[in-house]
Amino acid sequence: MKTASERYAALVRLVESRTVTRATPALLLPAGPYFDLAGEEFGRNLLLTTTNNGVEYCLRPDFTLPIAQQYLEDGLTGAPSAYTYLGPIFRQYQSTPVEFEQAGLELLGQADADNALDQVLTFARWALAIYDITAPSVRLGGVGLFEAFLEAAQIPVAWRSRIRHRFGHPEALERLMERLANPEERVEAPAPDSRDTVIEIVTDAMLSGGLSLIGSRTPEEIADRYLEKQALESAPIPPETVALLQNYLSVAESTETAFERISEMCKQAGFDFDEPLYQVRNHAAALAALSPNADVIFDASFSPRLDYYTGIVFEMTGSDGEVLASGGEYDRMLERLGAGEPVKASGCALWVDRLEREAEQ
Amino acid sequence: MSTLPGGLTLAIPSKGRLEELTRKAFSTARMNIARPGGARSYVGSIKNQPQVTVRFYPAAEIARELILGGVDIGVTGSDLIHEASENGEENVLFVRGLGFGEANVVVAIPDSWIDVQQMTDLADVASDFRSRHGRWLRVATKYVNLTRRHFAKYGIAEYRIVESAGATESAPAAGSADLIVDITSTGSTLAANQLRVLEDGLIMKSEANLIVSRTADWTPLRKAQLEALLSIMGGVPPGISTLL
Repeated sequence: MKTASERYAALVRLVESRTVTRATPALLLPAGPYFDLAGEEFGRNLLLTTTNNGVEYCLRPDFTLPIAQQYLEDGLTGAPSAYTYLGPIFRQYQSTPVEFEQAGLELLGQADADNALDQVLTFARWALAIYDITAPSVRLGGVGLFEAFLEAAQIPVAWRSRIRHRFGHPEALERLMERLANPEERVEAPAPDSRDTVIEIVTDAMLSGGLSLIGSRTPEEIADRYLEKQALESAPIPPETVALLQNYLSVAESTETAFERISEMCKQAGFDFDEPLYQVRNHAAALAALSPNADVIFDASFSPRLDYYTGIVFEMTGSDGEVLASGGEYDRMLERLGAGEPVKASGCALWVDRLEREAEQ
Repeated sequence: MSTLPGGLTLAIPSKGRLEELTRKAFSTARMNIARPGGARSYVGSIKNQPQVTVRFYPAAEIARELILGGVDIGVTGSDLIHEASENGEENVLFVRGLGFGEANVVVAIPDSWIDVQQMTDLADVASDFRSRHGRWLRVATKYVNLTRRHFAKYGIAEYRIVESAGATESAPAAGSADLIVDITSTGSTLAANQLRVLEDGLIMKSEANLIVSRTADWTPLRKAQLEALLSIMGGVPPGISTLL
């Protein structure tokens, strides 16, 4: 029978293993980059403090961002690096401050992204094993797979970005699906205005409202979106494609059944989707080999609400449904931080306090 | 701040029309609020109700004090309770609206954004705003919590809030924000600034409310005093204190 401190010591050994660098970012960090990367929705959970001249700092709310920033500052962009971390993070929920212990792994710039993701899954698996959790529930999701699906199903580009943007937000996606399934009855659409006329009308309205024509949305941008909306409304997505999309998003079952179902529905819709499915299938198989007792499902609508995730994402939960580990591929994050282009990245974060609670049960 | 074992603290807006109308509402119920030191004083009393201590606070502070249990009863806008804390409404009991201070908290955009009618349009605009303009879409408001909650409900994450202390409606023209979340009663200020409320841009309807703190220390004696005071106010069914 291991004690809590023995488990923690084992976790430290995992984090300090020879093939990785343990990173220890500062506890107090500039808040700006977090707002820049994750927006106001994540920002509300930060514990902020302000200097006399109004610059905001926050208590470290996660490790991934400072580690990725350091990687860029050290000029390592594109060089394969492996970082681990272990330490406290601070957030607030419902106006109550909370301190958590978090551990994790970040693999940046790895040449073989598939191998990197399998390493991340292995790391999470080992960390859970330290806490005697050998049969977690695992939820896999495919961000890249969904993007590929939208393209393969030949959904018009303008709709694709609208749908993609709502991916991972069940309520917003549901509302959009309803709108797609019941296109508004159009009363004899007026002949579309010419782009120049619309630009002129918008320019006049902006000037009379005292708005700068260049500081915010431009007349051209507004006019283009206005015309695009008109076009979309007059050319709705065919009902059978909407039904296919809804069918895809409803898939949430054990991996092989899920992949079979997706493969089958695509075949019936007249296109082959086995190639894109191949990659996620392999990772699911790797996971099953690592953790034969885990209950692994593929949930087609599962995605973190952060737009820098790109590939496969996962979440491992314990007996009471709390997330113990989560992560995936986020190739767009370093680009968003200023790398200039997407850089292969995958990683995971572990909630140490929850792991410990699980072990004590 | 209440002194034990009995006694109630009532918080009243300290200035302006809100103070005036609140005192009028109490005097209609034959409870004249005395403020002996005039506008500079922050403590008052009610004639014939010696167990009640009246305190004068700015309206936003009344909301905070009610949530934290620093005062027992207060009059303030329901919008301020929702704004003061993410779970503010769980910590108070709205007894009843007082029929004044009515205003709506709304999302308003420049009228020239002819492609935007609903929150879902705004979600589309927000999603690629940064790649077009190299910065987040900016929302000027003093209602930080209400804005965050409403935007999250519509799946909008890609924006930044610019905190605005006053004259929020001028932020788009001043170039400090792209749109606003603000309070409006007649809509005329918005219209004068050529701003338009989104079709589903009503975040909440607000009015001045008589509010009881759930987090104050409610002894049986103080509950009885509360019931008595509310029954004099009228329009309140008996038994409110059983909900505390």
